[in-house]
Amino acid sequence: MMRCGPALAALAACLGLFAAWEIGARLAGIDGLPPASQALVQIPSILGDPESLLHIGASLQRMIVGFALGVAAAVPIGLTMGRSQHVAAFFNPLLMVIYPVPKAALMPVIMLWLGVGDASKTLVIFLGVTLPVIYHSYQGSRAVEQKMLWSAAAMGMKAPARLVRIVLPAALPEILAGCRVGLVLALITMVTSEMIARQTGIGNILFNSLDMAQYDTVYAMIVIIGGLGFVLDAAFEWLRGRLVAWAEPSHPIIVGTT
Amino acid sequence: MRALPAPVATSLIGALPIALIIGLWQVIAMTGIAPPALLPAPGTVFTRLAQQLGSAAYLDHVATTLMRLFAGFAIAAVAGVALGITMTGSRWAGAVIAPLVRVLSPVPKIALYPAFILTLGFEDASKIALVVADAIFPILLATSQGTAAVEPKLAWSAQAAGASRLRCLLTVVLPAALPSVLTGCRIALVISCIVVFLAEMITSTDGLGHLLVRAARSFQSVDMFVPLITISLLGLLLNAGFNALRRRLLTGFPEAD
Repeated sequence: MMRCGPALAALAACLGLFAAWEIGARLAGIDGLPPASQALVQIPSILGDPESLLHIGASLQRMIVGFALGVAAAVPIGLTMGRSQHVAAFFNPLLMVIYPVPKAALMPVIMLWLGVGDASKTLVIFLGVTLPVIYHSYQGSRAVEQKMLWSAAAMGMKAPARLVRIVLPAALPEILAGCRVGLVLALITMVTSEMIARQTGIGNILFNSLDMAQYDTVYAMIVIIGGLGFVLDAAFEWLRGRLVAWAEPSHPIIVGTT
Repeated sequence: MRALPAPVATSLIGALPIALIIGLWQVIAMTGIAPPALLPAPGTVFTRLAQQLGSAAYLDHVATTLMRLFAGFAIAAVAGVALGITMTGSRWAGAVIAPLVRVLSPVPKIALYPAFILTLGFEDASKIALVVADAIFPILLATSQGTAAVEPKLAWSAQAAGASRLRCLLTVVLPAALPSVLTGCRIALVISCIVVFLAEMITSTDGLGHLLVRAARSFQSVDMFVPLITISLLGLLLNAGFNALRRRLLTGFPEAD
């Protein structure tokens, strides 16, 4: 395949989806499903409207803050878990218990404590991001070759330095795979928490237009959010390819939970 | 510590953070740092949970949620495995499906929920559709990656022995890829559990998610915790049950872990 093959295929897939939507909508002819052409022309007006841009910007800002804090907390925990059995035994059951909790569903409870502002939404995103990043960092750190650590120890390197200078780089491909899952989950948690709390942000625009029966806008927003997911994922994958070009290319990810 | 056998010590260490969290919760509730309206004591919450699990009305909501969960998961499992194996079985189908999956899998499926509401209504169908949309991708990806990694010699021998391509896919390649397929299904099962709850929180008149939102509207914090704990316990139980099933199905597989 050519170098631009996958990009072309993705483009073709998008066009195919829009074509199927257009034809399906015209055949079905119901109010709740406007044809693709009607919804897509709304996108420039949404993206040109300062108010909705403000909403989208605020959402993205919360998402990035929550994601960054989540990665910053999760990577050290995961790496230490991989190198110490006691630390792993300490955290594993807790993580297993937290795993099936719907993080975005904590929104109403957290809003009781922290109010409706940015803090509660950012906290929910943080919770959504940490678990997959911890898990992947743990796996990556566990797989580091023991001999490298022994050699470093023999040359007098202390344990914290070994973690930063040997385990971290060696586990980087796996950590970045976790970050990729975490990034998609940050977006999912952001949209979900805004759909539940409905104060500001992308999720709020989506449901406001649903309430006001502006179906074209609803579908345009869905396309924008979907596009955001795809672009974030593709951008991160590009960055990952440059950072860890020496590692094997990754598979399409299996996104865990919200 | 040294007298204890290793597994006991390990599980004791593991119980520590959970006990710490519940202890901290109890202390905060008892000292009144947080008023009971914001953070009810753990004892109150668990008593209420036990009481609710004995009430028929509550169990009705649980049953509604479970019905949506399993309906969505079953459709996703059948469709995901079928599509995944088609991707491996036919190069043409793979060339069509793979880019679609590449585009659709990072899309936050929850954003599609308004579209499902508009086309399928506010009832069960839209929630089941959302569960399918979220659960199908892990199953599909795990099936296609698992079947693609099956030792080609197995398929060649079956075909040399006269099996048709389809028969070979279904009776040789798919069983050989079972560990991977079941892992995908387990992930999808927990996702389904979470998604059905979120959908019920966003728009619903029944189900566990609805109970949480109803309690939040009237600031009954105890009743907010109870559905949350119920759905998390359901997720834990389903996950553990599926793991047990997976271990039984995979007896004899070298990679079963």
